[in-house]
Amino acid sequence: MTPLLLRAWSRYLRLTTQWPSIGTIVPFIPLIVAWWIVTEMRAFPPAFLPGPAEVVRSFGSLVYTGVLPEYLQDSLVRLAIGSFWGIALGVPLGILVGLSQPAHKALWPVLLFFQAIGDIAWLPILVIWFGYGLTTMTVIIVYTVIFPVVLNTVLGVRSIPVNMHRAAQSLGASRTRMLWEVVLPGALPNIMTGLRNGLGYGWRALIATEIIVGTSGIGFLMFDARRAGSVVEILLGMIILGSLWYIVDSWILAPIERATGQRWGLVTK
Amino acid sequence: MKSLTIRNLSKTYFDVHAGANVTAVRDLSLEVPAGEFVSIVGPSGCGKTTLLNMIAGFIPHTGGEILVGGHPVKGPGPDRGVVFQSFALFPWRTVLDNVAFGPKMRGVGRAEREKIAHEYLALAKLSAAAGRYPNELSGGMQQRVGVVRALANDPDVLLMDEPFASVDAQTRMTLQEELTRIWEQKRPTVIFITHDVPEAVFLGNRVVALSKGRVLEEIAVDLPRPRVWDDLNEDDRFKALSGRVLQLVRSA
Repeated sequence: MTPLLLRAWSRYLRLTTQWPSIGTIVPFIPLIVAWWIVTEMRAFPPAFLPGPAEVVRSFGSLVYTGVLPEYLQDSLVRLAIGSFWGIALGVPLGILVGLSQPAHKALWPVLLFFQAIGDIAWLPILVIWFGYGLTTMTVIIVYTVIFPVVLNTVLGVRSIPVNMHRAAQSLGASRTRMLWEVVLPGALPNIMTGLRNGLGYGWRALIATEIIVGTSGIGFLMFDARRAGSVVEILLGMIILGSLWYIVDSWILAPIERATGQRWGLVTK
Repeated sequence: MKSLTIRNLSKTYFDVHAGANVTAVRDLSLEVPAGEFVSIVGPSGCGKTTLLNMIAGFIPHTGGEILVGGHPVKGPGPDRGVVFQSFALFPWRTVLDNVAFGPKMRGVGRAEREKIAHEYLALAKLSAAAGRYPNELSGGMQQRVGVVRALANDPDVLLMDEPFASVDAQTRMTLQEELTRIWEQKRPTVIFITHDVPEAVFLGNRVVALSKGRVLEEIAVDLPRPRVWDDLNEDDRFKALSGRVLQLVRSA
């Protein structure tokens, strides 16, 4: 019995090294099976907890009618815009605060203050200022992404050993080149951490904002489904949220980290 | 390669913890002709690292002057190459790009600066490691990169701050032999800071003993070159010189 299990396990390990995506899906199988069993046993009425098959069917019809692709695109575009501005504003600000003592003195307390006023806490006033729509959502997501990026960039810039600056200066690097050659790469592992946190928070804030002020997007899809009493679509929305984040993390963020901080020995694998 | 002149140099700073002014270097004068290898020894706290940091321009001096080839030092610059105890290689650059960094900052084109880098890597027997990242190398190899990175930028003066203090004893002897070999080939002006007396004697044309921020004594080392440990370990003149320097440092 035991050798058989061992052989099966080693075959599984070989399989997942060859196709890593299998290793991603397999852990979810027991979860789906348990879900399926619970619904098949009729422990809850189907309208209360639909089974996996119904969720898949609803996925099919929402894709077919074009609602899901459209909403998905809306959410992803908002996330992309928010991330772009979060990085474009957050990294330079973080570098400024990290390098300049006066800037640190002036801005650090302000940053901490506004970081504490979480994303959703801005909604009431933003709705009054910008109404229900894209501007409000963009402000919220930029706001959410920017703080982890700024704070981690500051940390990264400040953790660069002083001898790294000195070495570059003694090799003739000017102040501007130091930014590109030392400060940015030195802070990159921390910037990536900030980005990962920022996108994670941003993704959640976006869904919450779509639920409250949205007229499209995955968050809106779920809230709209609640209005129609469609638990299937709510579950579908939740599954999409989890899957999308997994894809963003493992297809975009993790490979960047492997190619930079881990390769350089600045981050442990 | 140029000469280094230090006249009446001093460094006083306010120590926040002690709540008083501290003089790390006082009225220090030193003349290093172009192409000389000078070892500076002294006990901890004698001001040797402060001295090197002032020559490198990392910290300002509070009195006197430092001249490299007749020009006063104002801040760090590529005329003074530095080799650090902590290596201070750029982890995000390959070995080749680390060594080519100085020429790149000078505006040397890619093909030319990589040619320079390869030449220096060959000098330190590092050609095979050119494409690797520093964290993939042993400490001894990292410091070889540190030395040739500074040399590849063709500095007027090479400043070395206890460069071999953090590698194991066997590697250290190999690195010392390689450094004398490279010095004999390139003849740079070198200031070598160490607390290791045999190392100072083995490498230098001259050993300067510091104490309490002052030059205690200068001792000429007239041992023949090329120098290798197998010859010098049992050499009476080497032993006598080391003994004298050690006595000086201990009395300091």
